[in-house]
Amino acid sequence: MTALELIRLAISRLGTSRLRAVLTMLGVIIGVGSIVALVAVAQGATSGITDRIQGLGTNLLTVSPGATRNGFTRLALGSATTLTTEDAQAIAAASGVAAVAPELSTQKLVIAGIQNTTTSIIGTTPAYLEVRTYTMWQGSFFNQAALDGSLRVAVLGSTTADNLGLDGSSIGQTIQIGGIPFHLVGIMQPKGSSGITSQDDQVLIPISTAQHYFVGGDKVRSISVSVASASQIDATQGELTALLEQRHGTNGTNDDFTITSQAQLLSTFSSITGLLTVLLGGIASISLVVGGIGIMNIMLVSVRERTREIGIRKAIGARSSDILFQFLVEALVLSLLGGVIGIVVGLAASLLIGQIAGWGFIFNPLTVVVAVGFSLVVGVVFGVWPARAAARLDPIASLRYE
Amino acid sequence: MRGTAFAAGGQGPFGNPATGAPGTDASVSAPAVIELRGITRIYSTGRLEVAALRGVDLDVWQGDFLAIVGPSGSGKSTMMNIIGCLDRPTAGSYRLGGTPVEQLSDDDLARVRGRAIGFVFQSFNLLPRTSALENVATPLLYQGVSRKERHARAQAALERLGLGERVHHEPSELSGGQQQRVAIARALVTEPALILADEPTGNLDSQAGADVIALLHELNASGTTIVLITHDSDVAVQALRQVHVRDGLLVQ
Repeated sequence: MTALELIRLAISRLGTSRLRAVLTMLGVIIGVGSIVALVAVAQGATSGITDRIQGLGTNLLTVSPGATRNGFTRLALGSATTLTTEDAQAIAAASGVAAVAPELSTQKLVIAGIQNTTTSIIGTTPAYLEVRTYTMWQGSFFNQAALDGSLRVAVLGSTTADNLGLDGSSIGQTIQIGGIPFHLVGIMQPKGSSGITSQDDQVLIPISTAQHYFVGGDKVRSISVSVASASQIDATQGELTALLEQRHGTNGTNDDFTITSQAQLLSTFSSITGLLTVLLGGIASISLVVGGIGIMNIMLVSVRERTREIGIRKAIGARSSDILFQFLVEALVLSLLGGVIGIVVGLAASLLIGQIAGWGFIFNPLTVVVAVGFSLVVGVVFGVWPARAAARLDPIASLRYE
Repeated sequence: MRGTAFAAGGQGPFGNPATGAPGTDASVSAPAVIELRGITRIYSTGRLEVAALRGVDLDVWQGDFLAIVGPSGSGKSTMMNIIGCLDRPTAGSYRLGGTPVEQLSDDDLARVRGRAIGFVFQSFNLLPRTSALENVATPLLYQGVSRKERHARAQAALERLGLGERVHHEPSELSGGQQQRVAIARALVTEPALILADEPTGNLDSQAGADVIALLHELNASGTTIVLITHDSDVAVQALRQVHVRDGLLVQ
């Protein structure tokens, strides 16, 4: 018998009890469907997070102050006091560094006309735009002259501008930040959430202005560094560590700063999402195994019910192997058909979830191949026993079986 | 070889002129389809050994119509199983169309059943929820005949038995007599050397039973060898000749 004949025979036999065939497939449909959906969701989430982390900036290194050490007396503002604007200038001079943006932040009430909002006021340098990969929507970013002169100029994030009812026509207007008048010079394009905080709800002013009016001193909260190329990230990270250790008089065991790279952030997130994928996939696989056992169960019942049919087939010339393949192919058709329906259900579910979560639909052909492979394996593993039982039946006893 | 085997086994059981056995001349000229020599079949169930057949010699010739008659428990079912290659003898030799069957593998036996023997059973044994056409075509499936040819040959066999209008009916939609005719069509479709009918009239009313016997006569007249197994002497007398089985032996 050819494979085609076997498949045709299997489908015609399964067609005689459609409801049972569908119920038998249900386990595999649920198993394969949940594997496909969960893998697609995990991939969607991973790519969404990856996009956002990469959206923070290009080849970004972030220098943050380390933990406050015993023996220090000045603990004001937590530990955010070990980095200075001089550190930022020294980093800018290091090799492999494309741009440096020190940051200082505080919360202030911002008033524009009759609207007001309380938001982050970030003091930085013109390099911020490049380092954090923002683009301007209206006006322009403040320039080096504004920084040098500690001018009262401000650039707004898109959300902040919306909250204050400001748009392109507002450029040049005066707004109040913490009670001090500032000149609005630009509004930035929206960038989306970083997953932790909004990157669009902030007011940017020159760092010298922030130090002068709001914070005092020359301390900075963090320093964002854009490395010239991705291949230099590790080397630059080491170089900056050595530079800052030298400047701060520390030696690796008592560093008062931390340098993190996007790659580290990414690998942290991807290890979490990877773990989640394995965990969810594992749970879904259990339902696939249960589905396989369902197929085996029904096939065993079927062999018993169809004992007489098996006897007849043997009497009219079927070899044991013909019977074996007939039942094996029936199990395979059940599991494969279930697998295909499961893939469709799973893809539909992941499309829906992707739409709701906002990362779109990620179709991975590998998932389909793996899911079909899984269903085949389930069909063979759980189909062999019933098929062997059928093939081994004695024709004489089977013919007399009632 | 065949001649001596015939001489040794043929005279005893078949020498009964009352049953209308073919004459000696005809027997010698026609080749033997079945040659049983000293067939013994012992069933072992634990410590108990039951001899269902105890040394049976039998020849059936091309074009023969033989009834094997015996009460239940006589061993006639065991004989049918062995002749039908569903079972193997414990001892003795069986040649079917000249081929020594006891040397064949299980797969070869299946092939012999499919090609050389057509079965007709008391309970019809059609595949349920399967059309008459597919039922008749199934033996050809196991011979690797193409779908198109299978259906053409099955159609022809059903038409020959007057079931041309019923090819797409399932067994549950057919009367007992029609079901048995489908079963006979299935036995015929492979053009076997032998049709083995086990109580073919047992589940039929007398009219349908008579039709089936008439049909077997018709097939026999066109050259098909038929072995009929029955406990019913009224059915048996309609065969060309009879052998009787009692306690695992052929008797007069």
